[in-house]
Amino acid sequence: MQSSWLNTTMMKTMNNSSYMQQLIITTLFLLLTVSPVTGRNYYIYVTAESQDEVHVVKFDGEKATVIKDIPVGVWPLEIEGPHGLTISPDGKYWYLSLAHGFPFGHVYKYETGSDKMVDRVELGLFPATMQISTATGLLYVVNFNLHGEHEPSTISIVDPEEMIEVKRVETGVMPHGSRLTNDGLKQYSVAMMSGTLYELDVLQFDISRTLFTGRKKQMNMQGSMDHKNSMKKNTMHKIPKEKPTWVYPHPADTHVYVVNNGTDNVVEIDLGNWAITRQFKTGKGPYNCEVSQDGKYLVVTYKSAAKTGIWDLNTGQELVRLKNTRRVTHGVVISPDSRYAFVSVEGIRGEPGSVDVFDLENLTLVDHAEVGKQAGGIAFWKMED
Amino acid sequence: MDGCRLVFTCIALLLGSITLQAQDDDSLYFQFEPDSLDLAIGDSANVKITLFSEDSSLSNNQFLITGAWGAVEVRPWISNQKGVANVQVKVFKPGSFKLSASSITPDRFKRVRGRMPITVPFPPIAKAEFIDPPRTAYEGTTIEFAARVLDQANITRQDVQPVFKSSNPEIADFDEFGHLTIYRRGLVQITVTAEGISSSTDLRVVRNPVRKIELSLEADDYRTGDVITFKARALTASGRAVEDAPVVFSFMGKAVYGIGLPASGQITPQGKFVAENPGDYTIFATSGGHTASKTIRITPRNIQKRAKLVGHGLITDVFTSDLWVWQGIGEFKERDFAVTGTWEANGEAYFWEVTDPSNLIIIDTVTVDARTVNDVKISADGRIGVLTREGASTRKNGVVILDVSNPYDVKILSEFNDGLTGGVHNAFIYDNHVYAVNNGRKYDIINISDPENPWRVGSYELNTPGHSIHDVWVENGIAYSSNWNDGVHIFDIGGLNFSEQNRHTIMKNPVLQAAGKGSPRKPTLMSSKTDTTGRNHAAFPFLSKSTGDFYVIAGDEHFPFGLGEIENMEPANPRGGYHFLNMNDYNVPVEEAIYQVPEAGSHNLWVKGDTLYTAFYQGGLRVVDISGELLGDLYKQGREIAFYLSNHKNGRMSNATMVWGPQPYKNHIFFSDMNSGLYAVQLVEYDYDEDDE
Repeated sequence: MQSSWLNTTMMKTMNNSSYMQQLIITTLFLLLTVSPVTGRNYYIYVTAESQDEVHVVKFDGEKATVIKDIPVGVWPLEIEGPHGLTISPDGKYWYLSLAHGFPFGHVYKYETGSDKMVDRVELGLFPATMQISTATGLLYVVNFNLHGEHEPSTISIVDPEEMIEVKRVETGVMPHGSRLTNDGLKQYSVAMMSGTLYELDVLQFDISRTLFTGRKKQMNMQGSMDHKNSMKKNTMHKIPKEKPTWVYPHPADTHVYVVNNGTDNVVEIDLGNWAITRQFKTGKGPYNCEVSQDGKYLVVTYKSAAKTGIWDLNTGQELVRLKNTRRVTHGVVISPDSRYAFVSVEGIRGEPGSVDVFDLENLTLVDHAEVGKQAGGIAFWKMED
Repeated sequence: MDGCRLVFTCIALLLGSITLQAQDDDSLYFQFEPDSLDLAIGDSANVKITLFSEDSSLSNNQFLITGAWGAVEVRPWISNQKGVANVQVKVFKPGSFKLSASSITPDRFKRVRGRMPITVPFPPIAKAEFIDPPRTAYEGTTIEFAARVLDQANITRQDVQPVFKSSNPEIADFDEFGHLTIYRRGLVQITVTAEGISSSTDLRVVRNPVRKIELSLEADDYRTGDVITFKARALTASGRAVEDAPVVFSFMGKAVYGIGLPASGQITPQGKFVAENPGDYTIFATSGGHTASKTIRITPRNIQKRAKLVGHGLITDVFTSDLWVWQGIGEFKERDFAVTGTWEANGEAYFWEVTDPSNLIIIDTVTVDARTVNDVKISADGRIGVLTREGASTRKNGVVILDVSNPYDVKILSEFNDGLTGGVHNAFIYDNHVYAVNNGRKYDIINISDPENPWRVGSYELNTPGHSIHDVWVENGIAYSSNWNDGVHIFDIGGLNFSEQNRHTIMKNPVLQAAGKGSPRKPTLMSSKTDTTGRNHAAFPFLSKSTGDFYVIAGDEHFPFGLGEIENMEPANPRGGYHFLNMNDYNVPVEEAIYQVPEAGSHNLWVKGDTLYTAFYQGGLRVVDISGELLGDLYKQGREIAFYLSNHKNGRMSNATMVWGPQPYKNHIFFSDMNSGLYAVQLVEYDYDEDDE
C-alpha cells in the first residue's frame, strides 16, 4: 500500500513539472560536475567525542578550514561524548546525540548557523546515530548501549519539533547506523552484537523485517514478529563474527549496504528480495559507509586500517584505497553533488581528530582540517556557490 | 526511477545554496474532536482527528499520530487514506502533553502539523494528616505542627500546601506555617486540610504549671565553632521539673570586631549553640512567658596556619587530574612516590619521586589508549596501581592494572574492559579488588589477586529511576559510593575481621559493628541518604578522634555558571560544599554541619585525624579543623586552618587556580591542580619566617 502511494505521488510530481526544463537542468548540472568545482563552498558539522565539541568545517574546493568550535554538554569535568549528528531536511537545525548522561544520554537540537541550542530530550543508553525521515518528519535514534552485559536495545522515535520521544522500538544488541531511505518510509539499522539488519516501517512504528548480515546464516524474517521476546531469551547469545556497524541505502531505495566490521566486508542487500546480492571485501575494520547521490560511488571508512576505500558500485570494484591522515577512521559524508567525501578520523590519545576531504573524481586526498579529539559523527550542512 | 532521482538532485543543486526554507501547506488543516482532553492517570479516551482541505472536504492525505513515550499512548499511529483517524488515547503520567498529528508527504515542505492539548492532573489528594501531634499543651506556649499530604498514588505531595485551622481561635490559633499559639485553657480541635481532604485531632490546653526556667551550661572557655550545650529546665513554683513543657531557645550577641557586624551563630531546638564570630552572646530559654538567660564570651578559635609551598611539579601542556602518594617497597622502601593522571589529553599518567617534597620529579610515564586518565590509585601494599580510562580509541575503556613496585619502571600488567567499555571515571583498590565505576551507572568489583588476569566477581547497581554513580571509596571493608541524586550509599563488603588488632576500630565505629554480612561478591546496602540537589560527587568516612562521632562527609560538585575553562580557556566558576552526615545511628543519617567556601566549588577530599583536607577548585586547597562536636556552617566558625591558591603564571591556564584533589602524606600536603600540576605544601605558624631556618 505504501509503495503504491509513493509511486503515485512521484508520478504526480513528474507530471506537474516540465520535462524539458528538467532535461536542461540535468544537462547543466552534468556540465558543472565534470569540471573542477570552483567557487563552491561546502560546510560540514563534525563532532569531537573526547573533547565535547562540535566543529563547523568549510571546504572551498582546495582548503578545508575549521570556522567554528561549538562547546556542547553541560558537565565541565565529565566527557559526555557527542557522537551522532544529523541535519534536519530543511537545513534549519542540527541534532546531536550526547552519549553519556546520568546514565541516559540526550539528543540536543541546535539551530544551524547561529548554533544556538533549542531544546533537548533524554533518550536511552548511549544514543548514537540518527536521521530524520523526509516522510514523517520524525527523528530515529539508535540507543547503542555498549555498556555492560549484552542486552537488546532500542530505537527511539523522536518528534524533533516538540523534542519528545514518541516511541521506543526494541531491536538487537548494540544497534548502530540509523539511516532512512530517500522516500523516508523505511529506517534501517544494524545491531552490532546480534549481526542483524533491522528494517523499521516508519508508518507502522515497528520492525517489519530482519536479516542476518552474514553469508552463511541467512535468517530472513518477514512481517511482524515477537522480536522482543526472542531477543530477551538470548541475552547470553553467541556474538556473530560479522559485527555490522553501519547501513546506508542506495539513493534509488533499491538496496542497502551493510558494513560488517568483524568480517571486513560490505554486503549489498536487495530490498526487494531481502537477500544479499553482492559482497565487497574491504580493508581491515570497515566502520561506516555512504553512497553518493548519483549512485556511482560507495565510500567506506576502514577504521582499523586507517584508510578510506572508494568503490565503483556499477562494477563492484574498489577504485582506490587511500590513507587517512591519522589512525582510527570513523565516519563519512558525501556532498550532494557527489564530488567530495568528507571523512572523520578520530586519532588516538592526545592527537587531534581530523576531517579528510577526498575528491571522488580524481580519487585523491585534497586536504584535511584538524578538529578536536576523537572526531566521529559527521553531517553535511550546505553548499554555497 | 534513477532518472527521477537524478533530476530531483539537479534541481536541488541548482537552487545554489542548499539551505532550504520550510513552508507549511496552508491549504490543509487538522480538526481534533474533542479539541482538548483532561484525563486521569490510566484513563482512555477516543479522539477523532481529521485532515481537511481548504474547502473543508476530506484531504485524502494520510497522517501520523504521536503521543509521548511512557506518558501518552496512542493507537493507531496512522490515519486512513481519506485523512481520518479514530484514535484511542491512554495516559500514564501526570502533566501537560500534546497529541500531535503530522501529514505524510513526499514534499516535506508541505507537511502540516496539528496538536491537541492533553492535561493529566496529579491524582487527587488522598490523605492530609498531622505528624505526631501532641494531645495536650500548656497555655501560653507555641507549638509547631507538621503535616503530611499524600495523593492517591501514595506519593508525598510537596507541591500542595496544607492549611491549618483551629476550631476555636480564642483558645489557640495557627499562623500559616503551622505554628499554634495557645492563649488559654480549653479543648480545641485542630484540622489540617489539603485540597478538601482533611483530618482533625483534639488538643487539650491545660494550665501551665511553669513558673521558672533554669538554664545551665558546662563552664569552659569557648571559642568560635565550639558546640555548647545549654540545658533548660522548666520548673513549677515548688521547683518540680515540668518535663514536657516546650522550651524555645534564642540568642542575641555583640561581636567584638565592630559596630554593625553580626554576632552570628546557630542554636538548635535542643539548646545546642555555636558561635561564628568572637563576642558576647546571651542565650535565652523561654516557656510560657518565663525566660532565663546566660551570657557567654566566645573567643577566636585561633588555629590558623600558613600553607607554605615546599615543592611544585609544573605541568602545562595537559590538564592534571587525580593524584595518589605512597611509600615505596623493596629497594625503594625508604622513598616516597606519587602518581598523577591527565584529563582530556593523551592517556598519560605521570609517576613522581616525592621523597624530597621540595624536589618533585617525574620519573616515569605510562601511556595508555585513552584521552582521560581521570583516576589513579595505588594499593595499600604499594605494589599495584590502577588507571581509569575514558576516550579509548577502541571505545573499550575499562581500567589498566599496573605493577608499581619499581616506580621508575612501571609496567602494565593487564587491561580489564569487559563490560566497562562506556568509560571508567573513578576506581578504588581494596584488598586485592578494584572497585570501578562503570559508565556512571554502577560499580563493578574486579579481583586482581592475579593482576595479570583480573576477573569480575561482583557488581552493584541501584534500582532507582535514572540512577547514576560518580565515585566509590573503600575503607575497612565498607564501600562508600556517591550517586548524585541518590546521594551517599554505604555498602558492607565484608567489614573488618574481628581481631585484637581491629578490635578498637570496630568497637568505635557503629557501621563496622554491624558489618560482616556482605562481601565483594555481594555488596550489602547498610544505609543511604539521598541528595535532593543532585550534586553528590564524593564521600569520605570520618570517625572523630575527639568525640567518637562517626560521619560520612558528602561532597558536592556543582557548575551553575556553565563550562568555563575547558573549551574557552577561561576559568570555570563552580560552587558546592561538604555535608557532614552523622552516622552514629547509621540507619538514620542526619546532616549536622556543612563546610563550603563562598564562591568556590568543592571537589575531592581527604580526612586525617580530625582535619579535613579539601580541593576547592578555584578556591584552592583548604585545610579545616573538624575536631569536637560539629554543627552549622563550619566555614563561618573560623575552623579553616589554612588555604593555598595554586595559581601559576605558566599554568595551562595562566594564574587560574583549579585544585582537583588533596592527600596529606607524612608531614606534607600534596595536591593536584588541573592547570599547573603537582604541589607539596606544609603547614607552618603564621609568623613563621623562612630566614629562621
